[in-house]
Amino acid sequence: MNYLVMECHTSYVVLLDEQGRFLRAANLCYQVGQTVQDPVLMEDVQTKPRSHLKWISAGVAAIAACLALVFGLQTYQNYWQAYSSILLSINPQVQMDLNRQGDVVALTGMNEDGVTLLEGYDGRGKDKVTVADELIDRAIDMGFLSEGGQISFSIDAPDQVLFQEYGVQLRTQVQEHLSGRITVNIQIISGGSPSQGSSSQEAPAGSTTPSSSSSSSPGGDSGYGDSGYGDSGYGTSSSAGGTGSTTGGSGGSTSSRPSSSASSGAAPAADPDDGDTNYNNSDTNYDDSGTTDYGGQSGAGDSGYGDDDDNDDEHDDDDD
Amino acid sequence: MNEEHELIQRVHAAKDDIRAADRLIYDYLPFIKAQTAKFLQRPPIEGQDEELGIGMMAFHQAIQSYSRGRGAFLPYAGLLIKSRLIDHRRREQRHGHTISLDAPIGEQETPLGETLADPQDHNEALLLRDATRQEIQELTRQMEQFGVNLRDVVDNCPRQERTLQACQQAVAYARENPQLLEDLLQSGRLPLAKLCQGSGVERKTLERHRKYLVALLLIYTNGYEIIRGHLKQMQRGGARA
Repeated sequence: MNYLVMECHTSYVVLLDEQGRFLRAANLCYQVGQTVQDPVLMEDVQTKPRSHLKWISAGVAAIAACLALVFGLQTYQNYWQAYSSILLSINPQVQMDLNRQGDVVALTGMNEDGVTLLEGYDGRGKDKVTVADELIDRAIDMGFLSEGGQISFSIDAPDQVLFQEYGVQLRTQVQEHLSGRITVNIQIISGGSPSQGSSSQEAPAGSTTPSSSSSSSPGGDSGYGDSGYGDSGYGTSSSAGGTGSTTGGSGGSTSSRPSSSASSGAAPAADPDDGDTNYNNSDTNYDDSGTTDYGGQSGAGDSGYGDDDDNDDEHDDDDD
Repeated sequence: MNEEHELIQRVHAAKDDIRAADRLIYDYLPFIKAQTAKFLQRPPIEGQDEELGIGMMAFHQAIQSYSRGRGAFLPYAGLLIKSRLIDHRRREQRHGHTISLDAPIGEQETPLGETLADPQDHNEALLLRDATRQEIQELTRQMEQFGVNLRDVVDNCPRQERTLQACQQAVAYARENPQLLEDLLQSGRLPLAKLCQGSGVERKTLERHRKYLVALLLIYTNGYEIIRGHLKQMQRGGARA
C-alpha cells in the first residue's frame, strides 16, 4: 500500500493511506508530498496511568470470589450433595437420597413398582418424613399397601446418631400419619441389613397398644441393639429415668422392668400405645422393649429380652 | 533533581505543543543517538540509518504517553526506544531473504542500487512531488479555516474498520451530492443532519469523527486532484458502500 506524506516533524510524519486513514509514522528522512511504501507506523501507547484502585478492586473481587466459592461449596454440601439415604420398601422400593439437612435430594425407583410409584411425583427438597408419608399414601392409593402390610425403612447413615434420629422420626411420624387408617408393620433397618431390624405394628387409633412407645422408639428397641443403637440408648435410659410408670399397660410385670419405662421415656410419641398386649404378642422382637410379655419373661431371666444382647439383660437384671 | 523536574515540565508542555515536542527531541537527540547506538553496537548515521528515525519516533511516543506513575522520564524513554528498535528488527527479519539496495557488491564500495537501471523519470517525480506538496499546503490552509489541523485529524481518524467504513459511506454520499460539499464550503459547518439522513450512518459516529470528515470532504472539493487520485481504494470502498 502507498502512503502519502502529509506533514513532517522532527520525530514523526503524518501519512495518508489509500483507504483514507491518517497515520503517524517514523520520519525516515521523508519529505512532504512523497509517496512511501513501507513506513514504520507509530503504535498507540497506553496513556492511561496505572491505577492502584484497579488492583485493589481486583483483590476485593478475588476475595469475594473465594468466599462465594467456599459458601457455594458449603451450600452444595448441605443442600445438594447426598449425605445419607433411606430405602423405602413396601413392595415398591424407592431410594431417597438425603442431604445433611434430612431433605430429599433425589428419588430413585429401585424396582418396577418403585418406578411406577414415583411416576408424576417430585419429592425433591421435601423433608424425608413428608416424602415417606406421601409415598405411602400413593402406595395405598395404587394398591401396593393394604391392611397388615409391611413398610421397611433401610437407613444408610454415616453415623449412628443420625441413624437413631432418622429411625425415631420415621417410625413415630409415619405411625401418626397412618393412625386410624390402616395397620401395618414398620421395620427400621440399619444400613440395609434386614436381619437386624425390628418391626412394629401400627395399631389403629383408639386401640390400646401398650408400650408401643418402646417399639416405636428405636432407642428402646433391642432390635437396634445389634448395631449399638439400642444398647446404648436402652441401658442409659434405664439408669437415667426408668421408673416404669409408662409401661403399666399389662400389669406389674412391666413395672419390674425399668428399662422399658426408660425406653418409653425416650420416645414419648409412642406412649399412647401402652397397654396393647396384642401388639407385644405379634412381635417377639418388640417384646424387648418392655411389654407385658416381657414382664413375664423378665422374671424368668432374659429369655425374650436379651435375645440379641446379653449386656442389656444383665443391666436390666441389675436394675431389678 | 532540578534538571529532572525541568525535564518533566518540558515533557508535559510538549504533550500539547508540537513545537515544544520538536525542540525537546532536538535537545535530547544525543540521548536518542546513544540509545540507538547501544542497540546497533555502533553510532547511527544521520540520514542513513532508519533506526535513528525510529528512535526519535519512540522518544515522541514516550513524551505523549509519559506519566509520573511510570517513573523517571529518561529511563522510560530509553525503554520505549529499545522496544521499538527490537520490533523493527523483528519486522525486518521477516524480509531477511531480500537483498538491500544499499548493500555493496562484492569487494567494491558501490551499492547495488546504483548499478540498477532506474525506470523512473526523476524530473517528473520531482515535479509531481512539488505539485503534491502544494496541494497539501493548500489543504492544510483550508483546514485551518475550519479550525482543524493534521494532528487533530490523525487523532480523530477512525481506528476500527467498521467505523472507517461508516465514515467512507458518509463521504461517498457527499460525493454523490456535491451540494453538500458546497454547503460545507459556504457555511463552514459540516452538514451532519443531511449526511446522517442520506448515508444512513449514525449521527453519533459522524460527530465523533467530525474533524476527520471535514478533512476528507475538503479533499473531495475542487482543487485536490493528486490527493484524490491517491485515495483510490477509498473511492472503490465508498462506491461499494
